[in-house]
Amino acid sequence: MGHDAGVRRLNIPVISLRLDGVDGTQWSSGADEARAQLTAALTAVGRGDRAALRRVYDMTAAKLFGICLRICGERASAEDVLQTVYIKVWERAGQFDAARASPITWLATIARNGAIDWRRSVAGRTVRDTLPEQAAFAVADDSPLADQSLVAAEEGERLHHCLDELEERSRASIRAAFFDGSTYAELAERENVPLGTMKSWIRRGLLRLKDCLGDG
Amino acid sequence: MDDHLTPAEERDALAAELALGLLEGQARADALRLSLSDPAFAALVAAWEAKLAPLHGEWADAQPGAAVWSGIERQLADAPADKVTAIETRLRRWRTGALLSGAVAAALALVLITRPVPTPAPAAPQLAVARIESDAAGPLVLARYNQSNGLMQLRIHGFEPGALAPELWVIPEGGTPVSLGQIGHAGEAEMTMPPPHRLLMTEGATLAITMEPVSKTPHPAPSGAAVASGKIITI
Repeated sequence: MGHDAGVRRLNIPVISLRLDGVDGTQWSSGADEARAQLTAALTAVGRGDRAALRRVYDMTAAKLFGICLRICGERASAEDVLQTVYIKVWERAGQFDAARASPITWLATIARNGAIDWRRSVAGRTVRDTLPEQAAFAVADDSPLADQSLVAAEEGERLHHCLDELEERSRASIRAAFFDGSTYAELAERENVPLGTMKSWIRRGLLRLKDCLGDG
Repeated sequence: MDDHLTPAEERDALAAELALGLLEGQARADALRLSLSDPAFAALVAAWEAKLAPLHGEWADAQPGAAVWSGIERQLADAPADKVTAIETRLRRWRTGALLSGAVAAALALVLITRPVPTPAPAAPQLAVARIESDAAGPLVLARYNQSNGLMQLRIHGFEPGALAPELWVIPEGGTPVSLGQIGHAGEAEMTMPPPHRLLMTEGATLAITMEPVSKTPHPAPSGAAVASGKIITI
């Protein structure tokens, strides 16, 4: 089908996050401790411990609100979404498996998906239409912040290396999609390119990213 | 420019697009439905979420207002702590959001398909997949029902906040509607159907959504016409 690179690897997908603590040598002991505390609190939430939900909230609300605020674009909606995010956490904590995902990744994914659900909803689109246009591309490609305390540093380095291997336009578009929750149409409009061009940049970038990361 | 992808690459790209949130409208609805009906595709989506997970280290923190936690507490207070009433709890948890649903454009369509999962695994579950939507830009409900263990999972999108919340009903052929509880205006919800309700999920029965005043317990009967309905079909 146009590829001359021979057979592409099409492995069965698996969650590729590492076991907690197995090779945590790159984390400071403080980060280890924070992660262990969060894992313990989340596990307790899974048993129906409401006090533990408060502990999870105290440890993570600033981060998860940062996600909601960035994607929703204004505080009131972001706070509404954040509330639904922690209710979801309460309901789903029993499904959290510390052997498969880090607690902060699990929580951040719920928050990001919740914020994107809101943006794609009628209410979200209505609110967003009233917001001033933001220079989101510039923000999206800011250099990484130092807050890695709850995220495995080694995996971050690998992903960033692979992102750096992509063409600039693919990398910038993928990052904008992740951090702004933008659609293809929004990205195409922002970059002033046809929709098909934007899709092509991102799809090729994503498949190259996957090749670079490997499936292991 | 070489954009010819193999079918497997197309599928993987679609999973990545759904994980990134690039899709909207009908394309998003179709991809969400696929992720509910096809566990292998859902695993692809989860794998992409995991690949991109290190980016979660880059979000800038922001402090939410104190009202957020009190709102969470208020919602938790609605749910009984007593595990004995687990079924009722699950019904109540269908109200996933703090935001309440409002009126929806009428004349939604619902398609429900029941089919066996194509695997030889022991006790292969029967899955029912339902999709309820008005148009590409409107509300959307995706449902997955596993007949072997009674687990119903929903993803809900795009109901407008308001005084009324969507409530899900099952209507046996020739019978009266039985409430399965209210669902949130957006987000995900799941419940294990109580055995009496499972018996109702048969071919010829109807699933319907009506807009009802917010209630902690299922209503005894719908107060208005269904905004969405469809028959369960086994194929």
